[in-house]
Amino acid sequence: MDLHQLWTIISTPDNVPIVMLLFVVPFYSWYALRQAFANDRLIEQLEADPAMAKTHHRKVQPYRPEWSREVHVWPFLLRIEFLAAIIVTVILVVWSITLNAPLEEPANPTLTMNPSKAPWYFLGLQEMLVYFDPWMAGVVMPSLIIGGLMVIPYIDANPLGNGYYTFKQRKYSILTFLFGFIVLWTSMIVIGTLIRGPGWMWFWPGMTWDHNRLVFEVNRDLPDIFGIKSGIMKSLFGGFVVTLYAIACGIGVHKLITRTPFNRKIYGRMSLVQYITMQVFMITMIALPVKIILKLLFRIKYVWITPWFNI
Amino acid sequence: MTDQEKDPVVHSSLSWHLVIWSVLLVLSMGWALWDEVYGIRPWKGYQTRFVTLYRNFLKTVQPAEAETEKKIKASSEYQRLDREMLAAEKSVAQRVGEIDREVNQTLVPRQLTLNDAFQIVRSEIGALTYQTEVASSEGGKQSLRKEIDDIKKRVAAVRLPNADGSTASQDYTYGQMEKDLDTWKSRKAQLLQQRVALLKPAAELRAQRDKYLSDRIADVSTETLAGIERTLDTFETGIRQIHIKDVDLVDRCESCHLGTREPVVLTKAAMGGEAVYTSHPRLELLEVHDPERFGCTPCHGGNGVATSSITKGHGRHKYWLWPMHYRENFEAGCQQCHSGEIVTEMADTLNAGRELFRLRGCMGCHRYEGFDREPEELTSVHQEIRQLQTQKAEWEREAGFSIQKADRVSDNAEAQRLYAHADNLKVRSSGVDAKIEQLDMRARNLIQEIKKVGPSLKEVRMKLRKEWLPVWVENPNHWRPGTKMPTFRLDQDEVRAISAFIWQSGLTGKAVQHPQGNAERGREAFETRGCMACHSMGEGDQKQGGTFAANLSRVGEKVNYNYLVRWIHNPRERTLPYDPIEKRDLTEEDYKKQGLPFVFDEEHSRSPYGNHELVVQQMTPMPSLRLSIEESRDIATYLMTRKQDNAAYAEAAYLDDPALKARGQFLVRHYGCAGCHEIAGLEEEQRIGTELTKEGSKPLERLDFALLGHDAHGEGWYNHKGFFENKLKDPAVYDKGKEKESKLERLKMPNFNLSKQEVDAVTTFLLGSVESTLPARYHFKPTDQRQDIAEGWWVVRKYNCMGCHQMRVGQSTVFMTLPRYQDPDWKEQVPPILIGEGARVDPDWLMRFLKNPAMHESTVDRNGVRQYLKARMPTFHFSDGELRKLVRFFEALSAQAQPYIAQSLEPLSESERLMARQLFSSEGAPCLKCHATGDPGHDRIATAPNFLLAKERLKPGWTRRWMIDPAMMAPGTAMPSGLFQRDGERWIFAGPTPPNFRTYTKDHVDLLVRYMFQFTPEELGRLRASAGSGAGR
Repeated sequence: MDLHQLWTIISTPDNVPIVMLLFVVPFYSWYALRQAFANDRLIEQLEADPAMAKTHHRKVQPYRPEWSREVHVWPFLLRIEFLAAIIVTVILVVWSITLNAPLEEPANPTLTMNPSKAPWYFLGLQEMLVYFDPWMAGVVMPSLIIGGLMVIPYIDANPLGNGYYTFKQRKYSILTFLFGFIVLWTSMIVIGTLIRGPGWMWFWPGMTWDHNRLVFEVNRDLPDIFGIKSGIMKSLFGGFVVTLYAIACGIGVHKLITRTPFNRKIYGRMSLVQYITMQVFMITMIALPVKIILKLLFRIKYVWITPWFNI
Repeated sequence: MTDQEKDPVVHSSLSWHLVIWSVLLVLSMGWALWDEVYGIRPWKGYQTRFVTLYRNFLKTVQPAEAETEKKIKASSEYQRLDREMLAAEKSVAQRVGEIDREVNQTLVPRQLTLNDAFQIVRSEIGALTYQTEVASSEGGKQSLRKEIDDIKKRVAAVRLPNADGSTASQDYTYGQMEKDLDTWKSRKAQLLQQRVALLKPAAELRAQRDKYLSDRIADVSTETLAGIERTLDTFETGIRQIHIKDVDLVDRCESCHLGTREPVVLTKAAMGGEAVYTSHPRLELLEVHDPERFGCTPCHGGNGVATSSITKGHGRHKYWLWPMHYRENFEAGCQQCHSGEIVTEMADTLNAGRELFRLRGCMGCHRYEGFDREPEELTSVHQEIRQLQTQKAEWEREAGFSIQKADRVSDNAEAQRLYAHADNLKVRSSGVDAKIEQLDMRARNLIQEIKKVGPSLKEVRMKLRKEWLPVWVENPNHWRPGTKMPTFRLDQDEVRAISAFIWQSGLTGKAVQHPQGNAERGREAFETRGCMACHSMGEGDQKQGGTFAANLSRVGEKVNYNYLVRWIHNPRERTLPYDPIEKRDLTEEDYKKQGLPFVFDEEHSRSPYGNHELVVQQMTPMPSLRLSIEESRDIATYLMTRKQDNAAYAEAAYLDDPALKARGQFLVRHYGCAGCHEIAGLEEEQRIGTELTKEGSKPLERLDFALLGHDAHGEGWYNHKGFFENKLKDPAVYDKGKEKESKLERLKMPNFNLSKQEVDAVTTFLLGSVESTLPARYHFKPTDQRQDIAEGWWVVRKYNCMGCHQMRVGQSTVFMTLPRYQDPDWKEQVPPILIGEGARVDPDWLMRFLKNPAMHESTVDRNGVRQYLKARMPTFHFSDGELRKLVRFFEALSAQAQPYIAQSLEPLSESERLMARQLFSSEGAPCLKCHATGDPGHDRIATAPNFLLAKERLKPGWTRRWMIDPAMMAPGTAMPSGLFQRDGERWIFAGPTPPNFRTYTKDHVDLLVRYMFQFTPEELGRLRASAGSGAGR
C-alpha cells in the first residue's frame, strides 16, 4: 500500500472536487431517495383513504391539517436559500484561499506529460476513449449526450412527480438517470482521475504509479475471435452483431417500460416518435457499459469495423 | 400549541444558523483580506523586519565609525585643510554675497516679470505670422502684416520690481523688451561665471579635505551611514524588481534579499541571524555582472517572478524547471555563459569539475562541445580540403572551356570577356591553393595536438609485465588508489578476454638493452627535475607530488626496465607511425615498398602512401625533459625499486590464447576503452556515451531514474542534481533491481571512485551545461584579449603548466607544496613565477623558447634561461597553434598590445658604456654575483639569467620597472629592491657610484636598460674582466 502515492493523488488541488464528488453524490442521492420514499408512503396512505385525500393539502411529509395550505416565498423559502448561499460562499472562500490552482511547467512540444489528463470534468469523456474509437468517443457520444439531455422533457409522458420527490411514480426515469449519471458519468470521472496512471494504465488506489510498469494486454476485435479476415466480411459481421444487440436491447427496454400497469399506461400516452427517440438513446446509452465490459473483461477492442468508423 | 404541532416551515427559527454562518462568512472574508495583503505577500514582513534590523545594526556601527572620523578630523593635517578652506571661503564671501544679491533680488525677478509680458506679445505675433503664411490672398497677407507691425509698435506698461521690493512702472515696446531681456541674461551668466571662479579655490580645498578623510576610512563614512538611515526613514514597502526588457527577465529577489547591494557589508550575525538580508558574498562579481543588466536568476536559477513563498521564489517546486542552485553547486550558473572556457575566474568548483571531466577521461566517452575537439576538427579540416580541391578542379576545367570558347567566337568583345573570365577563375583557384596550404598546416597541428587520457595500449608488450595486466583491468583503483582509470563492472571471464585482447594487439618493437643506472642519483633526479609536478610518489599520507599524472609508488611491479628508460628519455617516441588514412600502423615494410628510409619524426611526418600527415608521436601530454640517457637510466632504476615487497601475481598464460582475442575486442569496443587509450585496430572508434553539452537542461523525464524514480520522489532528489550526484557516486545505481537479460545490457559507465567534493564539482559542471535561456550577447564570447586568455587556459591545463609555474596570484604550484622546497636553500630552485610574463618577455623570444626551451640546437641537456635550476623546463612539442595560443595568452594576461613592436632605444655613447660597465661591476651593485656569465665555474653558483639573453628576451619597459622595484613584481625574489632612488624627475643609483657619474644628468635606470639591450658577448668579456679586476681590488 503506497500511502504517499494515494495522498499525492487525493491532495492534488485539481483532484479535490473528485474526492468530494465521491462522498457528496452518494449522500445527496440517498437524501433525495429518502424523501422520495417518505412521500411514496404518504401517497400510498392517501390512495388507501379517500377521505383523507380530500382534506389533505400537502404532498409532502410531515403534515398537520391545521397548517396553512401554502406559505409565502418570502421569507419562508428565501431565508433558507439565503442561508445556503452564505454557507456555499464560506466554503468557496476558504477553498480558494487554501487550495491554489496548479500552474504547471511551460509546455514542451517535444515532451508529452504522462499521464496526460484533461480537466477533471472532461475525464469521463477521456475515459470513454479507452472503449470507443476517437470519432465515437470524442464526437458522436458527446453530441448524443447533449441531445439526449435536451429531449428528456419532450419524451417524458409521465405527468406525475412535479414539485415533490417520489420514486414510485417515476421509477423508470429515476433509475435511468441514476444509471446514466452516477454509474456511467460520475464513475468514469472517478476512474479517469484516481485510477488511471502513467500510460493510462489501471492502478488500484494505493498502487504506486510506476512509470516503468509494463502490462501484457493484447486487444482484439470481435471478428478476429471468429476468424474473420476480410474487411467486407468484418463490416458485415460487425453490423450484424450490432443490429442484433440493438434489437435485443430494444426488446429489453420495451419489456422494462411495459412491466407494470402504471408503466403501460405511460407507454400508452407516448407517441411513436417519442418512443423511437427514447429507444435510440437508451440503446446507445446501454451500449457504453456493454462495451466497457467487453473491453475490460474480454479485451475486445471493436465489434464493428468499417473503413469509416469503428464501434 | 406544542412545538411539535407547529408547522416547521413557518415556525422553525433559522436565526442561530444565520448568525453562526454570518460570523463565519465575516471571518472568512477577513481571512481572505489578510491572505491578500500579507499571506501571499510574505516579502512585506521581510521588509519590515529588514528596516528594524538594519537600523539596529547601523546604531552599533555608527559610534565606532564616528570615533575614527573624529580622530581623523582632529588631526593637524585635516584641521589645516579645514582652516584653509574656511579662510578661502571667507576671503571671497563679500563679493559672492554681492553677486548673489544682484542675481537673486534684481535680475531674476525682473527677468521673470518682463518675460511674462514678452511671451504674451510674442505668441500674438506668432499666431498672426502663421495666419499670414496660410492666407490665400495677397491683400489679406498685407493687412495681417500691418497688424503685426502695429503690435510691435504698441507700447505696454510693465511694473518691474526693484531690489528693495518696490515696483516701478516702465513703458516697453516689443523690441525693447527683447533687448532688455537679452542684456539681463548675459549679465546673469557673467555674474554666475564670476561666482564660480571666486569659489573655485575654496571648492578645491574642500575636495582635498574630504578626500583626506575618505582615504583614511576603510569602511563607510558616518555621512554614508546617515544617508542610509535617511533612506530607511523613507523606506517604502513594495516589490523591488529588476526588469530587463529585451530578455523578458523580471527578478524580484531583492524584495526579500534587501541587503544584497547595500553599501555596508551585512553579515548574518549583524542582521540578527537572518541569512536572507546578508550582502552578496562576492561583490566583485556583481561589478562584472551588474544586476541591473544581468538580474539574479540567470546565474542563480530560481523563479525570479514568484513572491508568494520561499519555496516558489527559489524555484524548488516540481513545476519550475530551473530551481535555484544549491550552495555546493552555485557556480553552475557560470557555465551557462562561460561555456567555452576551461578556467573561469572566481569559479573554483566549476573549474575543478571541468578539469575532472577532462582529466578523468569523461570526454573519452561523452562528447562535450569544446572538450577534446581536435579529432572532430581534424575530420572537418580534411573534409574542407577535399571540397576545396573539387572546387579548384571545377574552376580549372571551366577556365579551359572558357578559353576554347573564346578561341572560336568571332566577336572580339565577347572573346575578351571570356578570356577575362578564364583569367579570373585561374586567379581564384590559385587563391584556393593558399587556403588548402593553411588547412593542411592546421591538420598537421591537430594531429600533433590530439592527446589521449590514458597510455597507448599498443605498447603493452614492451612496457608491461604480463601477469600484472589482468590484475589492473579488474580493479585499477584497488591496485593504485586514486588512479584516473575507473573501475569497470567486469567478471573474471571478461577480465581475461580483455587482457588477452590487449596483450595480443600490442606491438613488438626492438628492445634496446640498457645497463642499470644508479638508483640514488635517480631518486634525486626524480625529485628535483620536475617529475613530481605531475606524478606523485608514496601512498596514503605519504603521498607527495602532483595529481595530474599517475602515482608511481608501485611502478616497479608492472613495467619493463628497458622500456621505462626509453619512455623517460623521450615519452613521445613511437614504435610505429600511425596512418589515419590507411587506418593502421605503418611498418618498415611499408616504407621499403615505396623505396623510402624508415624515418618518422616531426620533420618526417608525411605518409609514404600519399601526402598526408602521420601520427608520429605518442598521444601523451607527457613532455620530454631532455635528460641524458644516463640520467634516464638512473631514474628508471630508481623507479624499478618502487614496489611492494610482497607483491605476487598469478600466472597469466591465457593472455596468449588466441581464442580469447575476438571476445576481448568486442568487450573493449563495448566498454569504450578506445575513448581514452590508443588501441591497435580501434583508433577510429567513436564515443560510446551520450553527449553532455546540454545535459543540464534535458527534461527530467528523459533522465532514466529506472526503478529509483519513486524513491527519488519520496526522498526529494527527483531532480537533475540528485540524478547526477547518484550516478557519479555509483554509476551502476540505476541498474538497481532491474532484470537485464545479459551483462552487456547493464549500464556501462565505470566507477570513477570520486570523493564527495569531486562529485559536487562534476555535478556543478553538468548542472551548468544547459541550453541557455539568455540571448547570445550575454554569453561570454569576447573578441578582445580575453578570448586569448580563455583559449590559452585550455593549453595551460592540457600540459599542466601550473604544476611548476604560478600563473596567477593566489595559485599554488605542486613545487611549493613539496617538503624539499620548504627549505630556504631550495626556495631558489622553485621554477619561475609567470605572473606578468607577457609584460616581461619579447613574444618572439617566448615562441622560440617554448618551442625549444634548451635554446640550443645540439646541447639540449640544459635549461635555456635558468641554467642554475635543477628543475628542467621540458620540451612539450607544442604544435604551432598551441605555441601561438600560449604566447597570446601571456601577452593578454599582461594586457600587451599585439603584435609586439620593439621599442627602439637610444644608442649608448662610448662613455656611457664605460659608466654602465663600471656600475655593473661596482661594489654597490654586484650584478655578476648572481647573474650567470657563461663561465662554467661561476654559473654553478649563479642563480639569475645571463645578461646576454636580455636583449632578445626582455622588454625594455619591464626591465626598467623590474630594476626599480623587483620585490613588488615578484615578492620573495632574490633580486634586491631599493637599488635606485628618486632624484627629482630621474632615478639614480642608491649606492656609491663610480666617480664619472657625478656629472651625469640622465636617468641611471635608463642607462642600465640601454646597456643591457645593447649587450654583446664581447662586452660580457670586458665586463667579466672588469668585474674580476674589481673583485681583486
